[in-house]
Amino acid sequence: GDGRASSRTSNDLIAYKNVNDIPPPREIMIQVDQRNEAILIPIYGSMVPFHVATIKTVSSQADTSRNCYIRIIFNVPGTPFSSHETNSLKNQTDIFLKEVSFRSKDPRHISEVVQQIKTLRKNVVSRESERAERAS
Amino acid sequence: DGHMFNNISLVGRGGTNPGQLRVHSRGLLWKKQGGGKAVEVDKSDIVRITWMKVPRSNQLGVQIKDGLKYKFTGFRDQDVSSLTNFFQNSCGIAPEEKQLSVSGKNWGELDINGNMLSFLVGSKQAFEVSLADVSQTQLQGKNDVILEFHVDDTTGANEKDSLMEMSFHIPSSNTQFVGDENHP
Repeated sequence: GDGRASSRTSNDLIAYKNVNDIPPPREIMIQVDQRNEAILIPIYGSMVPFHVATIKTVSSQADTSRNCYIRIIFNVPGTPFSSHETNSLKNQTDIFLKEVSFRSKDPRHISEVVQQIKTLRKNVVSRESERAERAS
Repeated sequence: DGHMFNNISLVGRGGTNPGQLRVHSRGLLWKKQGGGKAVEVDKSDIVRITWMKVPRSNQLGVQIKDGLKYKFTGFRDQDVSSLTNFFQNSCGIAPEEKQLSVSGKNWGELDINGNMLSFLVGSKQAFEVSLADVSQTQLQGKNDVILEFHVDDTTGANEKDSLMEMSFHIPSSNTQFVGDENHP
């Protein structure tokens, strides 16, 4: 798509409009909100939303002492394969959250979350690229 | 004198803890439900009070002289107005209003106030972490800063997933932090 199309889609990719739209957490843990295409991440006791389109990759890892780790890497400008989103710089001086890592007590929950994020991300990315193609 | 609130949670690294908060003219006292942890703040140590609307509640932020900040949630809208009056009249402190960003963007600005590092999106706060909990910072390449958080056996007592590491990409065109290598 051209510049106009990508800037229009980026405006559409808003996780929530109002503070109270954020779903109540069942527990303080990473959650996926399919309807709003958002990932909710617990940072200092608060659930912090990120639109799934801001996510580049997600992976998990287990260690021998039954701990499980999840790493979420976000899109930042200037890296290969980052979407037009981040490359059409909003503001030259913007700082990007690039990555977060969590330790989890629940490996099953982490593998579910990783799968959900991957699927949701794939669906949103393919929908947005179709939309951009139609618009050009 | 003062106000008593039940069901007020202390919010911080490690999740939330329910308890009871008493606000009086000499300061405030929060006690964890069932005993244990308590937080006591003397009025003379308070440097800043903030209110922020959070999902289904209001959050009180109390920053003290050494840079630490205590955050409490569970306040109804009517509590905010009565406490705001109380802080102004009995403590001589005017609370400031902050706004929470829920747009889900990962780009914005960083702000450091005392020990608190805030990530702001369109001048609204997306999240805040305490630099007092950072065990190590690393510079990766020219533009990425990695913060590692202290982890021990008690980390994550009240949460399933615990933050361990976070990194920010700071473009070369951003000069806010140039030459500032003193902050932890």
